[in-house]
Amino acid sequence: MDDLDRELGPHGPVEDYNDFSDDNVSKGGTNLKRPNVNPAMCKETPRETGFHRSTRICLEQIREAVLHHKWQEAAEYMACYPQLLEDTCLPPAQQNKELLWRISTNILHHHPNSTMEDYNNIYERMKHSGVRHHLMICLEHSFHLLLHGQNEDAKWQLSSAESWRHGKESAAQHQRAELISAYRSLLDYVIWCDKRFSNSDNYFDSDNQGMHDHFRQASLNLKEILKKPGVWDPFILSYVDMLELYDDHEEALKVLNDYAYNNNFPPNPNAHVYLYQYLKRHDASEKNLMRVLKVLHVLVPSHELMLDYSALLLNSENKTDIQKALGIILDMLDFTCWRTNMDVWKCLKTVIQRLEIQEDWENVVCEKMALREDWWPALHFTSFHASKDLEENPELWKVKASLAKILCPKQALKYTADRVTNGKRT
Amino acid sequence: MDDEYTAGYREPCSECSAVDWGITDECHFYCRSCHNVIERTRDVEDTGFVQNGSSKISSIRKGSKKKPERGHIWMVCEGFQFILRNQANALLRLGVSPQFKDDVLCPLWRLFLQKSRLAYTSNPVKSSRFKVQDSDSDSAAESSNMSASATDGESNPPSAADSTAEDASDWSGSTDVSSYLSTRLKRKRSPLSMMKTLALIHLALVWSREALTLSDLLRLVNEGHVPYVNAYEQLPEEMKVIGKDALLFRVESIPSHRIVHKEAQALVLFLELPAFPPITCETLLHPELLSLRYLTDTNLPDELHLWVCRLMEQAGMADQTLHTFDPHSCPVLPRYDIQTAALIIVTMKFLFGLDDHTEWKLSNEVGNQSDSGDMFNLRRWYKLMQDVLMRAQQKRRQDIARKQWKAKKPIFPKNIGLKRTMMKKKRIAEQVQLCFEKLSSRPAGVQEVSPSSFRFCWGDEDGSDGPSLHHMKLDGVVTLKHNLLTPSNSTYWHPGLKKCDRRQCPSSHYSDMEPTLPRSFVWLLQLFSFLLDVKPPYLYEEVLKVERHVIGTETHCDVSSRKKKTRTRAKTKSSPRTLDRTLKTGGESGKTASKSS
Repeated sequence: MDDLDRELGPHGPVEDYNDFSDDNVSKGGTNLKRPNVNPAMCKETPRETGFHRSTRICLEQIREAVLHHKWQEAAEYMACYPQLLEDTCLPPAQQNKELLWRISTNILHHHPNSTMEDYNNIYERMKHSGVRHHLMICLEHSFHLLLHGQNEDAKWQLSSAESWRHGKESAAQHQRAELISAYRSLLDYVIWCDKRFSNSDNYFDSDNQGMHDHFRQASLNLKEILKKPGVWDPFILSYVDMLELYDDHEEALKVLNDYAYNNNFPPNPNAHVYLYQYLKRHDASEKNLMRVLKVLHVLVPSHELMLDYSALLLNSENKTDIQKALGIILDMLDFTCWRTNMDVWKCLKTVIQRLEIQEDWENVVCEKMALREDWWPALHFTSFHASKDLEENPELWKVKASLAKILCPKQALKYTADRVTNGKRT
Repeated sequence: MDDEYTAGYREPCSECSAVDWGITDECHFYCRSCHNVIERTRDVEDTGFVQNGSSKISSIRKGSKKKPERGHIWMVCEGFQFILRNQANALLRLGVSPQFKDDVLCPLWRLFLQKSRLAYTSNPVKSSRFKVQDSDSDSAAESSNMSASATDGESNPPSAADSTAEDASDWSGSTDVSSYLSTRLKRKRSPLSMMKTLALIHLALVWSREALTLSDLLRLVNEGHVPYVNAYEQLPEEMKVIGKDALLFRVESIPSHRIVHKEAQALVLFLELPAFPPITCETLLHPELLSLRYLTDTNLPDELHLWVCRLMEQAGMADQTLHTFDPHSCPVLPRYDIQTAALIIVTMKFLFGLDDHTEWKLSNEVGNQSDSGDMFNLRRWYKLMQDVLMRAQQKRRQDIARKQWKAKKPIFPKNIGLKRTMMKKKRIAEQVQLCFEKLSSRPAGVQEVSPSSFRFCWGDEDGSDGPSLHHMKLDGVVTLKHNLLTPSNSTYWHPGLKKCDRRQCPSSHYSDMEPTLPRSFVWLLQLFSFLLDVKPPYLYEEVLKVERHVIGTETHCDVSSRKKKTRTRAKTKSSPRTLDRTLKTGGESGKTASKSS
């Protein structure tokens, strides 16, 4: 609409017929302009036309209705609002379309009588109303269809969005286009999954050509996408899932390794988890497993897989491995989420027991506890913890009590079974 | 209809030899068979404003020789003529007498066209575009000379003017809209605009002494009973409205009372109109009768009317010369509605005090009396009105939110690409609207209300806003003193009444004063502002004007500093003696002869 203004030339509309208030008497009013719409759209501006005043107040009414969950009223005002799209003033055009899109869908979400048809209608209209939001609206539309179980329609939406081109605009939004592409592949996977579960026995029948087609389409695209740096968790899982079915282990491993170890990608602990899980599923050697978990330990010391890691370390005969295991378990217990977890404490007990076989084990323990001795007692071994643990989990208390002295030999811990009465220590 | 003028001329036409002459708009003779224009003219009479037996301007001359694909060649003033006619017809349908249109509006319109040299003149406004077209000055002079004799596109224009006429309308449907928008003219505003039609109608209504005030007219426009927004949609099919025509014909606001009045005032002086027909006490526009209407609308007792009239007389405001426009004695067009409302407010101030104490004290006294059945109690009235007012304000806000401004047939730009964009947006807007109309089962836009002079409805029927208080007596607030009815309240407050120098204080002081004014007064101001759909400062200024008439202007405005824009005004109390003299009335309802004190 920039052109319209150029065509109309330097003349603004001839009318100058609004006085905002009698307090602002206009002086010589041929300087008529487009109203200055603020980002806060509900602000009244001086010299606003009747049309803009109507749309502003309409928006305020819609907002009130939506905030008070009066959906029928909101829908009624929403019917009066679209005239805003025909506004010939330039700057707020994109803002208007976005407002209309988001508020309409919000109202449709909550209004009791809204149907899928209404949604489709609104999405289609708003999609074609402008270029800047086209891709996002397509994405939202397909998500909506997906949520309502219309996978094929969702996929179709994304496919048509994938092929959308609009000169400079589509070039500027290439990241969104990639996202759409990725989700399209994901939808291929979803449909593939559906087909798989509906024909669970005969995967390789020729009747399942459709299923294989989906696999092909999905995998082609995913392979490309997964090369780009980013966080692609659900995509990679779906890809690996498909590859596993078709027994392409080499490709699966390659993809997973790439995802985990490629320095271009942002550090992602999940990558290592997925790799570990895959290796475990396919009976990899303990050495390989430990290698993966070692990196995970660095990234997320409190991860639950650390239990697995220490179990693996205990299995080995190496002395240093046992010591490592101690370190790992202690790192886990640094975090309060594991404080009352029985398994972790039992594991620690096992580690200590294995360690006690070695000579010099006290020094090892001391060394590991050196950094912790200031704050561990307060974290685990106060009298409050004692009473609580006794109440809730006496077995835990037993394990902890046995370890308390070992871990903090020099300190006088209050982790005992003595009752505390009236706050006074007895 | 031109036969009376052409009957004397019996020469055959040089082109077609027929004897069938008509008169063009510039009073040249033309042959009705072949449209050949000859030099003979009918003398332009500078007739007095009101012409008797003049023909209606109701149609464009048919049979233009040129009929391009885009329809008739038409001039902007023709478009406005159509719109004005439609507006007048709408008013006729609402009950205005036909003389308003035939005997007043039409001659007024023709006079306007003549004075602004848009038509009916041998010396029309020269279009600057015609001059720009030709670089050769001779041909430019020639073409502008030709256009002088043939501003109307239908009379046989020579080919040079033809091409310029075509070029001029490249960007619009009408031929001459650019001349209305050229920078030279724009500095003094376009000579014709939608708002001017309202101003013209208002003047015609006042001249015809119809009971429609300006605020009524604007309300009718707002409710859609009188075409205004998108009025161009009612133009005939052949008159295509495109491109730059939008700048004149498309409106996105309904002008305020203040602006239209200013425009009407300017128009009256521009047209050099003579004295208007007198607005006497029997005329419905006169405050004496208009106040009855407002009192009824606001559910105030009928007895109050007596006091309004008394006040008017004592202040010397009942005289018809004050209410009738006259270029010599009263060169300001009166604002009947605003003035009447202000009078009512001042009357209530006299009777009730409205200083946040007196009126409630009086109410309490009324309430305490045992037989207060039909005595007017201000508190009861206030509670009733406040409720109704709030609901009405909310409803008005909802109507503003729901109002649809965009036309079914928008004015498209000439550029095809832009036109397509506009059409696409319109389609999208319509479809989203349809979707939500279906969802909410309520069509967009404001529900049509039947036109009424009254905003509120009082009585016991269904659908009324509340019980009627018109029959209540004012016994609680007036007493018999020395055999004369006087208000019980004997004090009156008012802010400094000296008129401000407009150069130093161009705007109203209301926003500064408002926090210091009594809340009852402010509320009453808001009530009447809502009734007339104006802003409170506007009405406040009028109240001050009335008070100046009544009390005088000796009380000074307290100027804190010359440089500062804000001023404080001292509130002064008039002496009881001036009040007594002002408001004492005889026991009967006849008018007293005394002038203002």
